[in-house]
Amino acid sequence: MAIDSYRFLDFATRQVMKAWAARQEPGVIPFTLLAKSLRECTVALVSTAGVARNDDRPFDQDGERRDPWWSDPSFRAIPLGTTEKDVRLYHLHIDPRFGEADLDVVLPMRRLAELAGEGVVGRPAPTHYSVMGYILEPKELVEKTAPAIAERMRAERVDAAALVPA
Amino acid sequence: MIPELTRAVGVPRLAGLSYPMGRPLGRPRDADGQRAVLRATLELLVSASGPDSYAELLFEWPESPAQARNASKGLAPPPIVELLKKKPWLLARLYSGRIPHRERCLTGRGDR
Repeated sequence: MAIDSYRFLDFATRQVMKAWAARQEPGVIPFTLLAKSLRECTVALVSTAGVARNDDRPFDQDGERRDPWWSDPSFRAIPLGTTEKDVRLYHLHIDPRFGEADLDVVLPMRRLAELAGEGVVGRPAPTHYSVMGYILEPKELVEKTAPAIAERMRAERVDAAALVPA
Repeated sequence: MIPELTRAVGVPRLAGLSYPMGRPLGRPRDADGQRAVLRATLELLVSASGPDSYAELLFEWPESPAQARNASKGLAPPPIVELLKKKPWLLARLYSGRIPHRERCLTGRGDR
């Protein structure tokens, strides 16, 4: 791995992340080949930046402040066409100001639409998604949130999804 | 963002990138840079031939790590950092992944 994964992290965070990486056991990794060419695919994005529309429920930051071992494992749907004017980022472990200044920094829906215009991908999905990426206990995220997102993607005939960590 | 950790979890395809947290596609209003990162990432959908496919995106962040961190200076520390300042002995739990919630679920109690 030529990339230094930890280059931008402070010393303490780096040590914690390295310890977590060393402890992971990946098990069986799923894989599905694309069934059609990328230029025919409907593509959805999933951001871990804790993006929520202003007319939707915010991610629960007060709960995390009360109990720092817990964080909100739910998801928010972000319709295509949503911009930084329509959202806030609810994530206590990243600087939200960059994504709030330009949503494409964390959820690149406009860039995806441009790539569709260039013929690189088929089309952006009508709906994209966000979760809050600092979750120490991922049981609900894995068992409830991810399947619920996948179900909605299936309903919108999404062919491929890109997860964008924040 | 932290490809070593993501890869350790086990994902079908992974595009590794060394950008600061909170800015995975690049700088605000750098549409060309953002589009290049997204395009290179999506190309992995085609080029990957099996699980754990990994490609490194060799885009360079235009600031040093210190400059990138300074851009977020003054931000309140996360709640877990505040907790560990008060109870530093809990750091061992964070390192080891012994999350109090999990233990509370199993035993009905835990040390916060």
